Formats: sequence, C-alpha cells, structure tokens
Amino acid sequence: MSRVRNVGRWLLLALGCLAASVKAESVKPVTLPADHAAFVGRGTNRNRITEADRAWWAFKPLASVTPPAVKNEEWVRTPVDRFILARWEAAGLKPNPEADRRVLGRRAAMDLTGLPPTESMLDAWLEDREPGAWERWVARLLASPAHGERWARHWLDVARFAESSGFEHDYDRPGAYHFRDFVVRALNADMPYDQFVRWQLAGDEYEPENPLALMATGFLGAGVFPTQITANEVERTRYDAMDDMLSTTGVAFLGLTVGCARCHDHKFDPIPASDYYRMLATFTTTVRSELELDLDPEGTRRAQAVHAAAEAPLKEALIEYERDALPSRWEAWLKGDGPRKVKPGWEVLSVTDARSAAGAGLRPLGDGSFLAEGKNGDTDVYTFEATSGLEGVRALRVEALAHPTMNRGGPGRADNANIGLSRIRAWVSPVNGGPSNEVRFATARATFEQNPGGLSVKSALDADRGTGWAVDPKFGMDHAAVFECAEPLGYPDGTRWFVRLEFGLNTRHNIGRPRLSVATDPGLELKGSGTPAAVAAALEHVRTGKELTETERDVLKAWWKTSDPGWQAVHERLEAHRRAAPTARRERVLVCAEGYPAVRMHTQGADFFPETHFLQRGSTDQKRGVVRPGFLEVLLRGSEERWQKTPEAGARFSNRRRALAEWITDAERGAGHLAARVIVNRLWQHHFGQGLVATSNDFGTQGSRPSHPELLDWLAGELIRGGWRLKPIHQLIVSSAVYRQSSAVDTVRRDADPSNTWWSRWTPRRLEGEALRDAMLAVSGVLDPAMYGPGTFDPGSRRRSLYFTIKRSRLVPDMVAFDAPEPLVSQGRRPVTTVAPQALVLLNGPHVRVWAEALAQRAGAGAAPEATVVGRMYRLLLQRDPTPDEREAALGFLKTGRVPDLAQVLFSLDEFAYLE
Amino acid sequence: MKNRFTTSTGGTMGGGIDGGRRGFLRSLAGGSVLFPGLVSQLMAESGGGVTAGGDGLAPRAPHGRGRARNVIFLYMSGGVSHVDSWDPKPALMAAGGKTVSVNEFQGRKGDFKMFAKRPQWEFARHGKCGTEVSGLFPHMAECVDELCVIRSMKSDHTNHYEATLGIHTGSFTFARPSIGSWVSYGLGTENRNLPSFVVIAPRTPYAGGQVWASDFLPAEHQGTLVVPGTEPVANLRRRVAAVEQEIELEALGRINRRHLGKRGDDPMLAARMRSFETAFGMQMAMPDVFDLSRESDATLGLYGLERGSTRGFAWQCLVARRLVERGVRFVELIDVGSSDNWDAHGDMMTHVPLAKNVDRPIAGLLRDLRARGMLEDTLVVWTTEFGRTPFNASANAAGREHHHWVFSSWLAGAGVRAGTVYGESDELGINVGRDAVHVHDFHATILHLMGMDHERLTYRHAGRDFRLTDVAGNVVKGILA
Repeated sequence: MSRVRNVGRWLLLALGCLAASVKAESVKPVTLPADHAAFVGRGTNRNRITEADRAWWAFKPLASVTPPAVKNEEWVRTPVDRFILARWEAAGLKPNPEADRRVLGRRAAMDLTGLPPTESMLDAWLEDREPGAWERWVARLLASPAHGERWARHWLDVARFAESSGFEHDYDRPGAYHFRDFVVRALNADMPYDQFVRWQLAGDEYEPENPLALMATGFLGAGVFPTQITANEVERTRYDAMDDMLSTTGVAFLGLTVGCARCHDHKFDPIPASDYYRMLATFTTTVRSELELDLDPEGTRRAQAVHAAAEAPLKEALIEYERDALPSRWEAWLKGDGPRKVKPGWEVLSVTDARSAAGAGLRPLGDGSFLAEGKNGDTDVYTFEATSGLEGVRALRVEALAHPTMNRGGPGRADNANIGLSRIRAWVSPVNGGPSNEVRFATARATFEQNPGGLSVKSALDADRGTGWAVDPKFGMDHAAVFECAEPLGYPDGTRWFVRLEFGLNTRHNIGRPRLSVATDPGLELKGSGTPAAVAAALEHVRTGKELTETERDVLKAWWKTSDPGWQAVHERLEAHRRAAPTARRERVLVCAEGYPAVRMHTQGADFFPETHFLQRGSTDQKRGVVRPGFLEVLLRGSEERWQKTPEAGARFSNRRRALAEWITDAERGAGHLAARVIVNRLWQHHFGQGLVATSNDFGTQGSRPSHPELLDWLAGELIRGGWRLKPIHQLIVSSAVYRQSSAVDTVRRDADPSNTWWSRWTPRRLEGEALRDAMLAVSGVLDPAMYGPGTFDPGSRRRSLYFTIKRSRLVPDMVAFDAPEPLVSQGRRPVTTVAPQALVLLNGPHVRVWAEALAQRAGAGAAPEATVVGRMYRLLLQRDPTPDEREAALGFLKTGRVPDLAQVLFSLDEFAYLE
Repeated sequence: MKNRFTTSTGGTMGGGIDGGRRGFLRSLAGGSVLFPGLVSQLMAESGGGVTAGGDGLAPRAPHGRGRARNVIFLYMSGGVSHVDSWDPKPALMAAGGKTVSVNEFQGRKGDFKMFAKRPQWEFARHGKCGTEVSGLFPHMAECVDELCVIRSMKSDHTNHYEATLGIHTGSFTFARPSIGSWVSYGLGTENRNLPSFVVIAPRTPYAGGQVWASDFLPAEHQGTLVVPGTEPVANLRRRVAAVEQEIELEALGRINRRHLGKRGDDPMLAARMRSFETAFGMQMAMPDVFDLSRESDATLGLYGLERGSTRGFAWQCLVARRLVERGVRFVELIDVGSSDNWDAHGDMMTHVPLAKNVDRPIAGLLRDLRARGMLEDTLVVWTTEFGRTPFNASANAAGREHHHWVFSSWLAGAGVRAGTVYGESDELGINVGRDAVHVHDFHATILHLMGMDHERLTYRHAGRDFRLTDVAGNVVKGILA
C-alpha cells in the first residue's frame, strides 16, 4: 500500500539526503561506473579519493599544536585562553571584563547541571576566596549527578532519541528509556568518550553480559521504523533502517553526512556511494530486540550470596529437629491410632510415562508433578501412563501448578502465562492386562475458570478445540480441576490409567507443571494435598497390621512428618527464607544488537537479510553485488584489515559493528582524530552557544570552517591524551578566562567582532525548555531529584524534564513550544525561537502556576514581611538581591497583586530565562 | 474592507473587562502600551527604511505600490503531479506506456530510456478563460477565472527537504528566513494582538520549523504555529482577569526594560518582550479567530466544513480568511506535513483523497474572499515543492517520482492577471518549454505584488546584505495584472 510507501520515504528525505529522489535522479545523467563490480568489495575506489580530498581540514590528522604565546599572560587561566587571546591581540582587542561572581556562579551551574545553584552551594562559591576557587566550583558542578542529566539531553538530541517507532502507528518502545539512563550514567562516571562511542555501536560485542553496554546500543535503535510492512516493502524498509543507523552514526560521531551517498557519490564530500554501502554492511545483522535484563547482576549476586549464607543455620535447625525431636513423635504416632485416622485423600498417580506430542520435555519434580521444558508447541497433547491401586475412584484431578521458572510463575506457558486445556480424556484398564475403557466424566469444577462459558472447566469435556479451561488473570498460583467420573473405577489388582490432556485453545497455552491425582470421594477439597500411592499402600499395611518394609517406613515417615506441627514450624522457617531468596530484578531493555530475536512490527517477511548489496541509485530493484563491510576511504591510513576480521566459525558476533567502532575511535589510523574534534566541538558549543565549528553536525565541505582550528585540534589532542575523558575538557573550557567574560559589549567590540566569532564576550542565550522548566521546579523547591527509570507524559511531573517520555506523535507541548526537537534525525544544535506561545506557557500554563504558588510559599508568603519574601524570591530565582528599584516595584505590585502572581512575573523575566 | 481591523470585543475577556479592553484597544492601535519606553528607545536607533532594531512589527509602507496587503500561502507538501493537475499534456496522454528517449535535461546531454506514464485524470477547459484543469481538482477548476496558472515553475533540488526549504526561504541548502518572515519584516503587521505570520499545519513539514523560521531576521517575524484541533494554540485561557494580567505584564515589562537597558539593545530580548505583548493580545484575539460559531451555514458550505469540525483543510482555509480579516500579514496553510502527503511514489491514486481534502476548501476560500471583497488586496498562492516525473523507470509503475525541472503553481487575487496561464512545459511536461519561473522569480513576483522590491528588501547579517531571492530572481511581468 502506497500510503506506507509514502511515509517510508519520509525518513530518507527528512535526512536531507538524495535517497528519495532515486528514480527522479535516474533521468539525470550521473556518472556511472562502466563496471558495476568496481563498486563491490573493498579498496576498489581508492583511486577515487584524491590527496586533495584528504587535504580537507577535518580529514587531516590533528595538528601538533602548542598554545600560542600572548602578551597578556596575566589574563590566561587555561591554555584555551591563549588561542582566543592571540587572535584578539593581533586585532588589537582587549579582553572583556569578567562577569560578576554571582553571574558566574549561576552561569556555570546552569551550564554544567541545568539547574540554578542552591543558596548554600552558591554561598560556598562566593565565600571561597582561596586560589583555585573557580576550578573547585567547576569541579563540584561536574561531580554533581545533575551534570549527567543536563548533558545527556544534549546527546539525546544528537542521537535522535525517542521512545516510540514513529510513522502513523508510532508504537511505544517501553524499554527504550534505558538508553537515556546509559547516557546519564556514562557522563556522570566520566566514561572515556571512545568507550562511550564503542558501546553505543557495539556494546553487546564488547561486553555481552554487561547490562550497561547493552543499554548503550539503544543508540542504533532509536530511529523511526514503520509498521505493517507488506512483503514487497520489507527489503526497502530494511535498507531504510540500516540507513538510519549509518546516517546517525556518521553525523553523530564524525560530523559527516554519510547518508547523502546512498544514491550516488556524495555531492560535496569525498564519500563515494561504494563507501556508503560498505559502511552500511556493518549493520547487516543488527536488529532491535527486547531483552529482559538484570540491570544490577553484581548486586543480585551479592544479595544471593548473603542470603545463601543465612540459610545454613535454618537448615541445621531442621536437621537437629529431625534428629532429636522427631523420632519419638514418629514412633508414638505409628504405634498409636494415627495411621488409622488418616482419611483417604487425593492419591497422586504414579506416572510411568509422560510425553508431549509437540516435543516438550516433561521433567518429574519428585512430588508427582512434571515441569514442561524446552519446546513450547503452538498446540500440544500431553499423555500420561500411570498405575494406581485405588478402587472405587470417583474423580480425576488435574493440577496446573505454579513454578518460579515459568513466565510470571505460570501456570501456563502462553506468553501471558495462561493455560488452555481444550480437552481431557482418560482410559482405564486392569494393570495385568485386559480391555481398556474410556472414562466417562459427569461434570467438572476448578479453583478458577476464566469465564463460565467457552473458557470454563466443563468446556474441557467436549470435543470442541475452541473451548476449554483457562485461568487468565490468576497467574503465578496453583490451579486445580476435578473431573468427576460417571461411575466408580478401578480394578482389584490395580488399574492402569492413561490420561490425555489436549491444548489447542490458543497458541502455546500449554500447562507448565501438570500433576494428576485420583480419589474415591469426588467432593474432596480441590487443593488438598495428595496421598501418593506408595503412602496409601503403607498406611493400608499399618491398618491391617502388616509388617512394614524399610522402604515403606521411610516413605510413610517422610509423608507423615509434614503433618507434624513441630517439624512444620522448623521447616517453614527454612522455606520462608528460601522463598525470600533475592532474584534478579529484570527489566525490559530495548537493545539494537545481533543474535537476539528481532522486535517485529507486523512485518510480512524477514527481519534482516544476510547480505547487504550495493544498490544502484539506492534502489533495491537495482542490486549490483554483495558488499563487504568497510569504512570511509578518506579517513583510512593504511589497510582496514586491521579492524575487519572475519569472525571464527560459530562465533557469536559478526565483528562488524565492533570493527566500525574501533575504526571510529582509532585516532592514529582511523577516524578517531575527527571523532575527537567533533565531540570537543560539541562541548564548546554547549558551553558557549556555538561551536568552534558552527555546524556541529557537518564537518564536511558544506559545513562551516572552524573559527579557531588550532584550538579545536589542541582540545581534541587533549581529549585523546587524557584518555578520552570529557570532564577534564569541560574543566579546561569552563575554567578559562574566555568563559568568565561578561556579556557587556561596547562599540569597539561589536565592530571588531560583530557575530562574536572571536568569543570576545559572553553571548547570553535563552535556556532550553527543559532547563527553564527544571529551573522553575528547582527554585520552587518542588523538584523531585529521582534519577533514571521509566519516563512520564505528565506535564505536571516534578522530575527533571529529561524524564519526559519521548513519544514521537505525542511530544510534550511545553517542550516543543521552547524548541525541543522532533526526534527524526540527529540534531546538533537547536534553533532558538522567540514566539508568543512561549509567553503563553509562562502566563497561563497551569503547571507554571503550581510552581509559582510553591515558590511563593517557599519564600514565606503570608508568614514573613513582604520585603523579605521579595528578597528571598530574587535570591532563589536569580541568585541576587533585588535592586532598590526592583524591590519597590515588587512591593508596589503586591499592593494589589498576590505573591504567586509576582512569582509568575519573575518566572517570565528575561534574566531568569537567559543564561548570562 | 471596513471590518478588516476590527475585532470582536465579545466575552472572552476576564472580569476586569474595562481595563482589559482599554489595554487591548491601545495595543490594537499599534502603539506599545505595555512597553512604552521600549519602542521609542529602539526606534531612536534605527536608520532609514526597514530597520532591524526598531519595532519590527509596526506597519510600514512598502517600497512601491502593491495591491496585496496580505498573503495566504497554500503549500501542498510532497510534490503534486503537474501533468495530472494543472498542466495538460496531450502528447503524454498518447504516449502512455511507450518508451521515451530522454536526451537532454537542463542543457545536459545523456541517453536515457524511460517509460512515459499516462496521466490518470482527463483535462477539460473551464471558466470564461478556458484554462484546462484535470478532473483531480473539479472545484478549483471552477475558479480558473481567478487564477494565473504558472506551468513553468522550476526548482533547484529534487529532495523534499531542500526543495521545501527552497520554496519557503529561497535557499536550498542552509536555513534562511522564511518568505513569511521576510514579508512580516518588510511590512510589519496591522494587528498587534496576533502574530504577523501564522502557519496552520496539522503536521510538521519536511525541514520542520525551518519552514517558518525567522532565522537571522528579528525573532518577532517568526511564524507562529497553529495546529488544527480542539486546542489550536495552547494556554490561551487567561489565568487571571485581563486587568490583573495587564498589571503583571506592566511589572514584567518594567523589570525587563531595566534589564534590557543594561544590555545594549539585544534584539532577542526586545523580541521576547514583544512576544509577551503579542501573547497578551492573542488571548482574546485567537479564541475569536477560532470561534466559527457565527459563520453562516452558507459560508461553512462554501468550504465544505462540517459545523463544529476543527480538522481538515477546510478548517485551515476558513481560519486563514479570519486571520487575514484581522490583519495578519502572512498566513501559510500546509497540507499536510512530511508524511501521508502528495509524495505519490507508489500510486498516483493517493492524490485522490488528498485532492478531496483541499479542492473544495480552496475553491471556497477564493469565492469567500471574492464575495467579501478581500481578494482585492489578498494574494493567494498555491504551490508545492516540485512536480512529479511524467515517466518512470518501469512501464507499469503506478506512481511518479520527484521532478523539479518543471512543475505548476498558481497565484490569485490582488494584482494578479486572473484567468490566464503563464509559461509552458515541453511536450511531455519534462522540462520548461517557455518562460521559466524559477523559485527566485516566484518569490520576487510575490514581493512585487506586495509592493516590495526583492532587491531592496535586505537584512544585514554576518557582514553582508541578505535577501529572500539571494542574488537572483526577476519579477515576472506576465503574471501581473
């Protein structure tokens, strides 16, 4: 259906590449290779990358840079300043004065943590007059957990992060938020950036057992993906999905629009289409999967060890009781009339053969029950052969027992843990031979039935496969059904039972742990524990005064002791402890990896294809040979064999993404120098509002040139030399004198540096929607600092805005009003708009009102003198006292207005909304 | 046009109706009652002509005489097939399924074998002028006497993203100010209670908000997005009575003004202050715009809008008329966004429901504007980012691909030579045959119709003067009345 086709194209086009124009382009003379095979394989395009191509500044190795000498040595705080100052000195420009200490305190706090400083934090900074105070302040902010939350949001823009699939149906991706949590954790832990990159591309290959590494791969899977893909759209959709992974990888890590080479060689950058397809092949086997992961396996192991150690004394107590107290009680019972008082109950059948038609393993658990394991047929039939000495049997009981190994504890093996016993049949015959008779059941009852109609226990008696016994929603507990026989059954010398349980009601609705029992009294408790046949026989011998064999004594004792109150008490303490054993808390995590079952989107076809082809003009109708994975020729020094290793036979991973990740982060021979430039530029951009390269997502020839190439290379070099740790780079930048400049601007400065490309002053910038909202929550004292976990749609949530669920068709309006991006493609830099709807949020937004009231209350409205309240609000919001003018204006306002109204006015102030 | 700039004073205001109304009316008069100091302060700094620092939204005279005071820009997203709609190609009708050897495009030589695809809708002459329109747009066809159909449009890019950016900003590569922002910047606006530039779009178009961004132009020229639905603009309901809110805003203005004074004339801060002023006015003016209850059944019928419905292009068109009536300078309607749109790669028949959604509402809009005398000074623009290929790589393809070498658009209303056709495509609709109208020419002509000289409507940014038409563009005289 072309409706889907339309939207399928939309992704490509949103990427700003030429993909969708495939066929239109076909009428335009493009240079085609005479031999299409020339595109295939590696290395054959080598002659197409010229030295001139490699000479583009971004592709060149990092220059070895020494921070330049400057005249005004005193001004220099970090080497960063030298690069900036040298340019000014050449132009005769003097440094701007420093910003006020309070302004600096707020600037760094908002920038590094996304929250205004608390009063006590700010005071600590203001009062620290020792040398190194600023560096300490910056380090303190960098160490705050809020730092990771703040900077994670920047990366999520780049990663086009969202928690739904996009397109018309926009299905939720419930485990997708773990990628967000990974980013926060990685940034807070100052994970080396090269590892940060590697894990996002191939965390599963690097550390398959580390949940954090798996969470990181959410990067690749964060893009849009259509649903209801018809058979003839499957392949193109797959290429689109791989294109999304590659395009985002190229832009995010390398600042290159690799995706533009999908239909033909890149129009501007030295990226041949052959390089595109070779890189695309990296993702051949990469699919989105949902895994149930223990996010803290180490913690689980520790807890289990502690628990296991605590079990020993309880076990010992039981052994002691059985050794010291039990024997005399046993003898007394046996010699007394105890055995005669035992009423016949359920006799658990002694099963001699249990089979599953679909091939499930039925493992006896020792209590007469069988645990179904392995193959879980869409439908199945269990058959049991058993013997019993009981005569006069009036009821057959089928138990469907819970078990911790089953999904939700069972009792069924269906996806939702339900069962669906569509039919039960049974036959009896004399144990020593004779004709077999089918048992006629009169009626049935059960502990619970899903409905009294087609899902009732009685409906398991008829031949209709579409009806039967089911128990939704009572999962995780034992169930039992009793089928009453129309006449008493059993033969004097013993009876052979043949029982057939059919599961055809719904897919995989097979009972996970069945147990069969018989009884002479059809009115017995459904759940009464059974009396095994051997016990029944032993009891019978006691009653008739027959000498018990050793085995019979043991069987009987083992059965009897469970009814001894003393034993029960000691045993229960042990069991209770065992039940409380810590288990892994598993959470659903969306990963994008290989080897796990793919998340399916109603796809009529394969999840992926084993080979990636070179596509002429990007069209799946024009395959031009299988491509082997490779990299961008222009960013290779030497052979790519270094990274591209064919995995050994039977290896779990194809090594493709790992090879790509190694190449991207190899600063010597691969693209690592570019990756380093790109990330330090992103840091610079978020600190100053604009990068040294203004187009932070495009370092190609269509992007901007760096304003200070030496500084960029020096910072990139520092990053690599420092083990790729980002926090030291933040520290270098924020500690600089450049960063500490005020935003004042005089005419000399404006004329010399009109667009501030020389960083000759601080450029105030409006806070992002998230930071503005978080700041309102924080100053109102209602911010909930809880980190991590599932997000929310609730605009009234008090958690940081980072924890809004990002559903593509349901973006949070207040965030969108303030330019939060539509997460379709990587966004390196948000636009900053100023439109009336933003003012409307602040004037009328119901949640802003709630926070204004909270702020008023926090500032002591109604309890303290108005002047005090005003002063306190100013300090909370703006980290300063009001000027006399402002105080007067505020008090004037309060003559008619209320404090929350004033709070809301203050929320709307430019000074609050702008980072100065 | 008596009612152009009056606004209902109906009951949407809060308790302090007098104060609110007073403030509102003062604001309406064009002065800045909330921020009195600001305007003079900024005006003092401005040079001659169109300025950056002044009250950018104050109405101002155009460079010359232009008939059009307002624009309604109808943008069909995805690429409408010209050969199936406005551009009859009898030769293509005959050539359907046959191989077409294409040897030249845009002056480039090559040898390509393609299969001509027969248009799926028959063409017929309409109106007094006899302009041919296909059966795809039966209602618009009845309005051809109002239209100047351009059959020789040309764009520079074959991608949605770039072409969408191009038709909106004149730049096919980088983000630049939108045409709506340029018009707002050039002429200001006449109702300070509404934004000067409003975009009504159910979904985000290709290139996203860049389509209505002011980019380097002062931020008050940014388009304000209205999304069809029950709450087209959020947070319009006043929290407090108007008079109280005015006091709040006066306090806010006072403090912000002092803050601004210490920070030069930062245009961002100034624009932000104006955004509060606009927001103040919008609280009353916008609900009134969206309140269609007093529209007659006849009017609703004209647009094909069901009473109470807030969806579909019919709603967008009727609201556009109401915005223009209230002095909004530039209204863009987007149909529909970057998905489920006119991008008929798979099957041309996907044009059918899309055409049904826009055809009658647009015809209704033209008739309604005509009946109210508004077409005299409102320019209506209908366009798309490019056309669709008259041929395909395979003989049985049901759809058509992107085609920017030639496509069709039309203009109607103020200053337009109505009932005419301008330009031609070649025999099969593959290339421009005669009188090419490049996107830059199209823009130059639209500005001209508004009395602006596209070469003089400039803004100094990063050391040079920028304009909508970059360094190109010619006013197409043949389109002018």
